[in-house]
Amino acid sequence: MRLTEHPIVKFKRGKEITIYFNGEPVKAYEGETVASALYAAGITTFSRSFRFHRPRGFFCAIGKCSSCMMEVDGIPNIRICKVYVRDGMKIKTQNSFPNADSDFLSILDSIVDRFYPHGSHYRKFNKPKVLRDFVTKQVRRFAGTGNPPKKAFEEKGSFEEIETDIAVVGGGPGGMSAAIYAARTGARVVLMDENPFLGGQLVKQTHRFFGSGKHRAGTRGIRIAEILSNEVGELKNIDVRFETKVFGLYNGVVGAVEKDKKLLKIKAKKIVIATGAYERTLLFENNDLPGVYGAGGVQTLMNVFGIKPGDKGLIVGSGNVGLILTYQLMQAGIDVAAIVEAMPRIGGYFVHAAKVRRLGVPIYTSHTIKRAIGDKKVEGAEIVKLDENWCEVKGSEKRIDCDFICVAIGLSPTHELLYQAGCEMKFVPELGGLVPMRTEYGETTVEGIYVAGDVAGIEEATSAMMEGRIAGLDAAIKLGYGGEEAIRLRDEVVRDLKEFREGPFGERILSGIKKVTFEKEAISVSAPEREEAISEGIE
Amino acid sequence: MKVAVIGSGITGLSTAHNLAKQGVEVVIFEKKTYLYGASGRNSGGITTMMDRKELIELAKRSIKIYDDIQGEFSFNFLFRKDGYLKVADGFDMGRLEKECRLQRSMGVKVREIDPFEIREIVPGFNPESVDGGFIGEGGVIFPWPVIWGYVEGCRKLGVEIMRNSEVKGFEVENGELKGVKVKDETIKVDFVINASGAWSVLISKLAGVELRNRIIKEEICVIESLKPFIDPYILNISTGVYISQSARGEVVGGVVGREATEPDTSSTLDFLIGYAKGAAEMIPLLKGLSVLRQWAGVYDASPDGLPVVGETELKGFVQANGLGRRGMSLAPAIGEIVAKIVLKGKEYDEFSPSRFQFPERTTEN
Repeated sequence: MRLTEHPIVKFKRGKEITIYFNGEPVKAYEGETVASALYAAGITTFSRSFRFHRPRGFFCAIGKCSSCMMEVDGIPNIRICKVYVRDGMKIKTQNSFPNADSDFLSILDSIVDRFYPHGSHYRKFNKPKVLRDFVTKQVRRFAGTGNPPKKAFEEKGSFEEIETDIAVVGGGPGGMSAAIYAARTGARVVLMDENPFLGGQLVKQTHRFFGSGKHRAGTRGIRIAEILSNEVGELKNIDVRFETKVFGLYNGVVGAVEKDKKLLKIKAKKIVIATGAYERTLLFENNDLPGVYGAGGVQTLMNVFGIKPGDKGLIVGSGNVGLILTYQLMQAGIDVAAIVEAMPRIGGYFVHAAKVRRLGVPIYTSHTIKRAIGDKKVEGAEIVKLDENWCEVKGSEKRIDCDFICVAIGLSPTHELLYQAGCEMKFVPELGGLVPMRTEYGETTVEGIYVAGDVAGIEEATSAMMEGRIAGLDAAIKLGYGGEEAIRLRDEVVRDLKEFREGPFGERILSGIKKVTFEKEAISVSAPEREEAISEGIE
Repeated sequence: MKVAVIGSGITGLSTAHNLAKQGVEVVIFEKKTYLYGASGRNSGGITTMMDRKELIELAKRSIKIYDDIQGEFSFNFLFRKDGYLKVADGFDMGRLEKECRLQRSMGVKVREIDPFEIREIVPGFNPESVDGGFIGEGGVIFPWPVIWGYVEGCRKLGVEIMRNSEVKGFEVENGELKGVKVKDETIKVDFVINASGAWSVLISKLAGVELRNRIIKEEICVIESLKPFIDPYILNISTGVYISQSARGEVVGGVVGREATEPDTSSTLDFLIGYAKGAAEMIPLLKGLSVLRQWAGVYDASPDGLPVVGETELKGFVQANGLGRRGMSLAPAIGEIVAKIVLKGKEYDEFSPSRFQFPERTTEN
C-alpha cells in the first residue's frame, strides 16, 4: 500500500525496521508514524469504541481526534498518529477481546441500545437496592478503554524551565512566520511543534498557491514549508522544540511535554497561539467506520508518508480542499468515484473544479452522503439527492462503490488553549466557528496572548503567514524590539493583508473579521474613566 | 412559609428536598448553574472515617440517605462502596490510629492494613511510599448524578430552582430578614438558607452577618480511561494526594486544597507537577499515562472543622456551610438538620454559628 512513484513528492524513507502489532511483526520505515505504518500493512481497525465496541481506526492523522488510541510498549491510550516508529516497538489493540479485528464484545453494538439505552446506568435497575448495587458493579466491569500498565514506565522524565520573550505554539505557516519576524527584531523566541518537522499542514499541500507574489504565490505548499523552516533554522535566537505538545497556558506560563519525556515550563512575556484547525466530521450512518477519513488525514497519509489510503474514494464536499484532494488522489494513481456536494453549486474555485472535471470525476451537487456501507471497514457508500429545502428526495438513493470516504466539509479552529487561557471567544460562522476576539495585530483580550493562522479563523496559508508576521512583530515591538523599522513593517503587512482579503474570495472572511476585531485602547479604558471621558465630551 | 435557599449544590438541594417534603414552599437561587461549585468539581470520595464524633454521625446518616434516596428518586448515583483507604507515613500514623479508635467506638468498621496488603488490593501500589494505613467504610460516588437526581426529586416536590440568578442583597426590617434581592426584584421569604459553599462568606457579608469560614481551593485531574484496577478511594493524609477510579475508568486524583483569598477556579501547572509526583510515588504504574483534563474547585471550611449550621443573629438567616472537603459525605444529613432548625426551631450547639463568638476552639485539622 506504499506509494513508490509520485509526480511531485519524492518519498525519502528511513531505515526499514520491525514493529509488532498484537505480537505479529509489521514492516515499517523510520520516520513513519505508527498509524501510517499499520495502515500501510493493511491494518485498519486499531481499537474498539468505549461503549458499543465499534471498530476504531484512522481519522484525522494529526493528533486532534481520539480515534487511533492504542497501547504502545505497555502504555495505554496513546494516539498513534503522533508516535513515530522505533525498532521492536510493541503495539496492541485496546478494549477488545481477543483483538480489535474480531472482538467478541462487538455484539454489544447490536444489543446494547435495545436493553440498556443511553442513560440506563442512571435510570434503570434502581430498585431494590440489591439489584442496583449488583448492576453498578457489573457496569463497571465494562468500563475503561486501555489496560492498566503491567509494569511501571521506565523512562526517566526530566524537567526544564525556560525564560523567553515570545513563545510560539505551532510550527505551521502562521507560527513559523511569527517566530521568524519576531526573532529578526532580536527577540528571543521558543517555537514549539508536536511534529518532528516544521511546516504544519503545509507539508501535505503539493499544489501551488494563489495570491500575490510577495506572499509566495505560485509556490507549492511543501516548498513554502521548506523555505520557512530553513529561515527558522538560520535564526539563532529561535529555540525550536520538536515533538513538543503544549497542554496548557497558566497565566503567562506555557506547559508542554517534549518528546513524551521532558516537562517544559516556559515563562514567556508574550505568547503566539498558532495551533491551526481540525477537521469537521459529518453526521451520517456509520460515519465512524474505519475508511471514513478527514480529507486532511488522507492528505497526510498520502503526501507526507506516501501511503495509499485505498483504491477508490468518495469525496464529501466540493470546497477547495475536496477538489484539491481529488486531484492529488488521481495524481497518486488512486481512483475517485465521485464528489458529493450538498449545496446546489460547487464550493471551491473554478480552476480546481475544471481540473477535476477534466479528469472525469463526477460532481453530484445537491447530494449528500446517507450512510457508509460496510461491517468492519468501508465497502461503499449510499448518496441521496437533496431538494431545495435540504430534505432527502425519496427514491433517489444511489450506491457508490468505494473503499474509503473523505469528509472535506471544512475545518474548525483548534481553540482550546485560548479558551483555557480565558480569551474572550465568539462564534463566527464565516471564520469556521469559535474564534477569539483580537486587535488588528492579533492580540486577544488576554494581554500578551496573540493568535495567527487558522486558529484565528479558517482561511488559507497565505493569510496565516501574514497574520503570523503581524503577531510576531507586534509582540516584539511591545517588548521594545525592532524600533521604527519593525513598526513600519508591521503596518505594511497589515495593509497587505487587508488588500489580500479584498479580493473576490475575501468578502466572507472580511465580514467575519469585522465581528471579532476590537480596538485595544477602547477596551483598556476602565468604566469610570470612560464615564468621565463621556462627561467631558471626549467620546 | 416560604424559604429561599442560596446555592444549588448538594447542601442546598438536600435542604430544599427536606423542606419541600414537609410542604414548605422553596425556591433555590443559583448564581451560575448546577455543578458549577464544589458539588460538580469534587472527586466523589465518601466515608465515615472522620476524626470527630459529630462528623461520623453525619456521615453515617448520609450514607443511609444515599442508599434510600436513589430508590426514591429512581436515580443511580453510581455509588460504589469498595472502601476508603487512608494511608500515612510514620509521623502521621499516630493521628490515624487515634481517629480509628474513635471511629470504632462509634461502630464504624475500620481495620489497619499494612502497605504490602494494600498492594494486594490495589495492583501496582508502592508499599515503600507509606508506613501504614486504615481501610474502612465508604467508596466513590459520581457527584453529577447525585445533583441531577436531587434536582429532579426537588422539582417533583414543587421546588423552584432559578439558575443564573445571583443574590444581590437582602431586605431586613428590625433585625429580621424579610426578603431576597435577585435581579431587579425582591422576593418575600421567611427564611434564607446560605448554602453557597465557597461563596458563603460573601453572601453573609451581604446580609451583614459575620462568618469566619475560609475559602479553600483544590485542584484535580483525570487521566485517560483504563479498565478498573483501583477499587477503594485512597487518601494519603501525609502528602494530601488522593486517587480513585471513576465509573468510566478514568483515574481521578488531586491534592488536598489550600486557602485562597477568593473563589478562584483557575488551574495551575504547579498542581499538575506536584500531583504527578505524588501519584506516581504512590502508584508507579500511573507513570507515562496521559492526563485527560484538569480543573479546580472551591469550598469553604469553618475555623474548627465542623459545619456551620443554624440561625444567625439576623433572624431568618440560616447558615448551612463550612462543610470543608467532606461535603459529599455530610450534606444529605445536613439537609435534614436544616429542615429541623427551620421547621421545629431545633438548635444544634455543636454546629451553631454563634459558637465562634466565644474564644476559638482549637482543631486537629
